Amino acid sequence: MKLQEGIYHAPGVRPGKFFNILFLRAASGQNARQVGEAFAKLWEIYQELKSGKVRDLPGQQVPSGDLTVLVGYGANTFKLPEVRRTLPSHLQDFGFFRSPLPAGGGSFLIGSGLKYAADVKINSATEEIAVQFIAETQLAVDRAIVETWKVLSSMTDPTTESAPLLITSFYSGSQRDDKRSWIDFHDGISNMKSSEREGAITIKRNPLPEEKWIESGTYLAFVRLGIDLSIWQALERRQQELLVGRDKLTGCPIESLDSQNNLTVRTGCPFTGQASDFSNRAFEDFKEPPNVNELILKQSHVQRANQHVTPVSDRNSSRVFRQGYEFLEPTHTAPGFRTGLNFVSFQDTPERLFRILKQDKWLGRTNFGGDPDKPLPGMDRFLTVRAGGIFLVPPVVEGELFPGSSIFI
Amino acid sequence: MVYDVPGRADILSLELIQKWNEAIQTAYNSLQADLGSRFFSLDPKSLSESVLAAIQWFGDPAEPVFCLGSDVGQKLSDWGSRGRHVLHNEYCEYRVIERPDATGKMRPKRVQITTELREYWVCIAKHDPQTLRSIAQSILGFEPTWEDLYGVSDPESLNEDEREIAFSTLVAGHGNDDKMVEANVPTQPTGKLNTENALFMTHPINGLDDLLYIVMFGAKPYANRTDNGLEQATREQLFREFGVEQLACRHADPAAAMGALGAAFNGRTVAFANPFGMYIRSFTKDVFLFEGDTIPSEWVRWSRGSEEGMFQHLEFGPSDSDAAFLDDITVVIGSREEPVTGGFQVVQQIEVGPLVIAGKPTPVADDEFVVLTASSEPIDCQQAAVCQTIKNLKEEFDNALQMVRVAPRRMGFRGES
Repeated sequence: MKLQEGIYHAPGVRPGKFFNILFLRAASGQNARQVGEAFAKLWEIYQELKSGKVRDLPGQQVPSGDLTVLVGYGANTFKLPEVRRTLPSHLQDFGFFRSPLPAGGGSFLIGSGLKYAADVKINSATEEIAVQFIAETQLAVDRAIVETWKVLSSMTDPTTESAPLLITSFYSGSQRDDKRSWIDFHDGISNMKSSEREGAITIKRNPLPEEKWIESGTYLAFVRLGIDLSIWQALERRQQELLVGRDKLTGCPIESLDSQNNLTVRTGCPFTGQASDFSNRAFEDFKEPPNVNELILKQSHVQRANQHVTPVSDRNSSRVFRQGYEFLEPTHTAPGFRTGLNFVSFQDTPERLFRILKQDKWLGRTNFGGDPDKPLPGMDRFLTVRAGGIFLVPPVVEGELFPGSSIFI
Repeated sequence: MVYDVPGRADILSLELIQKWNEAIQTAYNSLQADLGSRFFSLDPKSLSESVLAAIQWFGDPAEPVFCLGSDVGQKLSDWGSRGRHVLHNEYCEYRVIERPDATGKMRPKRVQITTELREYWVCIAKHDPQTLRSIAQSILGFEPTWEDLYGVSDPESLNEDEREIAFSTLVAGHGNDDKMVEANVPTQPTGKLNTENALFMTHPINGLDDLLYIVMFGAKPYANRTDNGLEQATREQLFREFGVEQLACRHADPAAAMGALGAAFNGRTVAFANPFGMYIRSFTKDVFLFEGDTIPSEWVRWSRGSEEGMFQHLEFGPSDSDAAFLDDITVVIGSREEPVTGGFQVVQQIEVGPLVIAGKPTPVADDEFVVLTASSEPIDCQQAAVCQTIKNLKEEFDNALQMVRVAPRRMGFRGES
């Protein structure tokens, strides 16, 4: 058994540039077998797309864009009639974030400072099935969505006008080649050594016999976060750097404050005064922020999100493997667009992410970073949640129709 | 003297502080021959440009969870003194205080959580009974009798060794101290003060020498030889190399040892910061709700420490004067909200750890690296010997659960004729 593709954790492997995540809901009245058989057909066309074949273009070869496809299952999957697997305990315990309030907004996770956006009344990422598409081209990930619709349309029962699976939503994103985020700072560069990642990602042996089948799989967490740049732009550079914990231009981690209260970066950081080059292995040791003494630095985002507890394979470290994609989408209100991040993480238990987000001294009570009791203007609503879900990503088992098919068939 | 009293919780005489430092020194001396190196110092002042190392872990017992799963782990850990004595070995112990409700039914009222070291209390008990009683009173809310502390009405009539044995028998247990074991002190205390309450830790693994051990154990530049040169050894290699794989599955040991190893590999010396102790480092109280709202602030009572991050005792839940009970509080995990029925759900929200500092990096000579040859393959935690002990405890628990009072003067089992 091994991890599914689409988790770019191995040394030297880089994720594709474009991302779509698709959510599929089981139609009312469908049992597990019917859902499984429907998804098997989808899985078949996804394999064809990976090799550049499109159903409606027989004999034609199209660029595959190095498409990868990963499937995950939410806790609702295990409520389907005649389901063949029991709900894994960690999906039972940590399988859902809170729902938005009927009028919109509301807490995303009690203990964390994240809230739904005021206009979000439904969390669309809580369906039975999530499918992650990553590719080198926008077309490849978009085509997978359209081809999904085609197959599901062909399965529609003319009397009920319903297919076994319904597309409820999908979210897109792309990678930035400058390794920065919309707030201009470097992002995702402190993300575990590649040699350590599998230990944090892969589900370990479990004492419960009914959960043997998920060993070597993982859990996917997805959170679509809107970023209010007007709040960020109103801050001074020093305030921004203290909130992030890095130098804005070079990416060097801030190590301390000097006697004049100036921010000092990590001694010997090779990024100082140079163009950052994170592909250079010599810089590896400088990506990770050091432990710090000053409270204001401990409150920064990078220090709160990773407290450097080792070993990372232990859930106690609360480390997760991040694989996020930025997004930009049009809106009908000023400024006419919304910036944000498709936060995606893989971990052996979603408990790790829950702890990062809600634990006191970690990101607990904060929206992004800083002092939760005295947030800078607007920083308690800087990030807003638009959707979020947790999904079991079963391992690839030789002979299975698709990963996790034993849940259904 | 190097160290103040743990958490700077008490004002003690210089003589007593000296005795505490001697206790630390003695524990260190017993480990130094096997585990000592230039990468560990007992004097935090000897380190320059030091920063706090990332050595912390969650307080919920790990062993029952990796042996039998989280549901069983919670039930067993919450099983009163029995659960505490067998399972609370992550340097965090708790006791649920029960009180009758209006119908006379016993219900959990609050949880007492302690990270305080047994050896500190024994040190005071041995040398200064009055101070001991005063500290105990500050936690209990009443003045304990000398009989409950020492088994006699006048502890001053006992010599120091006799006081140590008496106090250990009734309140502290033997703590794997050879002298106490030889004196037939039981593993766990026989008195009610520290079994019906959580005054300080009594699990033998939660001791001063073990705390020193888990940090000193890792404080060497253990390495793994690869094609790219020497790399820091993994948890699996370290614990397997020394034949203590089962310790790698706990929270405390890998966090402490690997934190120290990470520092040593970069040429940093580590030391316990002043004051030496085990502390509650963080607590996420915001996940607890009462009647849908945040819990009253007076339901979180910190003590045994002078400041946040240095507290050693937490009492969580309503006081006796409050009509509410612990299980009126709910804990929210994602979209789930469930009543707090014991201490496990509370210590899941707590991080504990000693304050360990790391000095500035220094060059590590080639011959200082300790190259390990053990495999890095994952350790199968369910094969740990402790799992059999925990399975036995589960059996005991199941039997106790089946036991019902079938007649006023007789105990029996359900279904017994």
